[in-house]
Amino acid sequence: MKIFFIVFSKEIISFMRSIALVAVILYSFTADIYIAGAGMQIRPRNVAIGYVDNSGGGISQKILSHFHQPEFINPKAFTSQQALSDAIFNKEILVGLIFSSNFEKAYVNGHNTKLDVLLDATAASQSFTTLSYLQNIILNFEKIDIPITIKSHRLFNQNADDHSFMALAELLSIITLLTVILTAMVFVKEKEEGTWDIMLLMPVNPKIIILAKSASQVFIVTIGVILSLGFVVFGAFDTPLNGSFWSFILLTLFYGFSSAGIGLFVAAVSKNIMQVAQISIAIMMPLIFLSGAWTPIYAMLPIFQKLSLISPLRYYIEGSESIFYRGTAFIDLLPYFGGVIILGIILYWYGFKKIGNLF
Amino acid sequence: MKYNTVKAYMIKEFKELVRTKLIILVYLLPSMIVIIFGYGIRLDVTHARLIIIDNDKSKISQMLSSKFEHTKYFDTIESNMNEKQALRRIKQAKTDAILIIPNSFEKNLLKGQKSELGVFVDGAFPTRGTTIQTYIEGTILSLVQKVLQAKGIQQKKLISINNRNLFNQSMRDENAIVPGIIGLVLLIAPAIIAALLIVKEKEKGTIFNFYASSLSKNEFLAAKLIPVFLLHSLNIFILFLIAVYLFNIPFRGNFLLYWLASELYILVSISLGMLISVITKKQIVAVVLTIIITVIPGFLYSGIIMPISSMDGVSQVEAHIFPVMYYNHIVYDTFLIGQGFHSQINLLYLLILIIFSFVLFSAGRILLKKEMK
Repeated sequence: MKIFFIVFSKEIISFMRSIALVAVILYSFTADIYIAGAGMQIRPRNVAIGYVDNSGGGISQKILSHFHQPEFINPKAFTSQQALSDAIFNKEILVGLIFSSNFEKAYVNGHNTKLDVLLDATAASQSFTTLSYLQNIILNFEKIDIPITIKSHRLFNQNADDHSFMALAELLSIITLLTVILTAMVFVKEKEEGTWDIMLLMPVNPKIIILAKSASQVFIVTIGVILSLGFVVFGAFDTPLNGSFWSFILLTLFYGFSSAGIGLFVAAVSKNIMQVAQISIAIMMPLIFLSGAWTPIYAMLPIFQKLSLISPLRYYIEGSESIFYRGTAFIDLLPYFGGVIILGIILYWYGFKKIGNLF
Repeated sequence: MKYNTVKAYMIKEFKELVRTKLIILVYLLPSMIVIIFGYGIRLDVTHARLIIIDNDKSKISQMLSSKFEHTKYFDTIESNMNEKQALRRIKQAKTDAILIIPNSFEKNLLKGQKSELGVFVDGAFPTRGTTIQTYIEGTILSLVQKVLQAKGIQQKKLISINNRNLFNQSMRDENAIVPGIIGLVLLIAPAIIAALLIVKEKEKGTIFNFYASSLSKNEFLAAKLIPVFLLHSLNIFILFLIAVYLFNIPFRGNFLLYWLASELYILVSISLGMLISVITKKQIVAVVLTIIITVIPGFLYSGIIMPISSMDGVSQVEAHIFPVMYYNHIVYDTFLIGQGFHSQINLLYLLILIIFSFVLFSAGRILLKKEMK
């Protein structure tokens, strides 16, 4: 136990001594998460709309007046369809509306009226949402009396606040990234300097050394998580916390050890820090982006869905979302805890064995 | 320029990359990321899990349910569970939305009386929540309109929207994502290798060889960076082939422009890595710093998830500070739009990439020291 604490504090001290490293870690847990959260707004916002109005005004202008801040920038008039499509080609305009010359007449006379819309489909989600806004605007404009009301409830995140969601997703990615890299580095540094073999040959139980070394890195990351929750996630973005704070910290701790396990594995297979950097990116990019933070698991290709079952991050992300937003009861969180713990044990055990072998 | 010395140094660097097996990762990593992202990320909402609680069980309510069943957007379950059970399933993340059709829905509708449909959407994933909600509302409204028109209750002709999706007619997610990922990958992969090149020697102490040698700063940098640059240049073509043949992305633009912009962009990325390598003292700091400043902004400002023009003030400024936005504009142009050299914006952005690489490279060169402090 004493040895554990000595190694543990040695690692913490040597971490603290590297001021640049501390600064980078602090940056990633605060400013970086802030930037990701503040910058992201996937709902349409400031969508640039252009239009060509050959119909002579009236109805077309009434429709256009419904596009306003913050979702849309005031629609910009173009004299010809060519000018409008040029602007779309240069990405100055996302959505173009074309009111043909017989638009108003047809509408007033009760004929079928067509409104031509050009969409920049490279920004697919904005364009689609804009299209559905447009449909709603026209529906409202026509004042069609449909005898139904749809009462929609957006649960857990009523305002569809992208900022707090993005900040949280970013935090989860940073946790993964740093735990894996920091853990792998601690071991590979010793490997590079040749002191790791000596460590294993010392009359000290190598298991305790490995445990203490990885625990110290998990500890550093956990402190970062708490700072980040306090200053950024709750401080700057008012993320709702509908579940229990401590179950999140507990889940984070378990998750920390399973990513440390990945770190141990990376350390075991790489000979120098250059390889650590490349291998951990090769492992983590798929891990982070295919674990449900960007695309829900069920919408992915079947093969990725199967693969994601062995990613501890998948359970961690779903679990954290459930804790923060859905306010899920502890009993319903057990599958996530189970997933993280079981995978954690396997990864940690495997990495442990690999790094602990001298030959 | 001591040509032979530089050549020898370059060969040494190249051999080191091969012997440490890093060469595998130079080629494996970018292709792997593009393939995984291309297949894995879906921005379009499909197969959302919807529970329909039909309390009416009438012809129109059946029509409504079957309308949800027959789209790729929803996987529906018709169920008799009560609202509370259904809500619990949302809490367990086993379903995304619930639609509750009230009893006597058909009767009220045909009489023209108001009836109220309940929709519950899981908002934990905000964009998806909003999109799913819009889809559900749209489907209901269009069906009800059709029914009313068919029954002669509603007569008025409507304005129909005739939309043309430019550049990506089929609205394939791959077309919107893969070109953007190329911009992300060519920023990350060269930068990480370049970031370690000099700091590695600093940590090991072999940097003194350089201090003591007759090699000038320029020659040293040339020897360090040219092998990485050349190796990564091949990736431009590999990624192009993956995009065009594996993902069937149309290539409508000018290949020369794509190639030129990509080479410049790799130069930017390598210069960025070199700058990091010069200012840091430890490899671990260099690695973490490079990842943090390339991966996240690279993804955010790539234009994959949101167009730059719809960003807020501060983020918009940040997006302009990052090179990825300029390169991706050109890449999207060459793949999907095809304006090529005729577009002044493309030329301007090309120039900006040149300025980027020049500034970053000069900054690294100035900060690199030839002697011990």
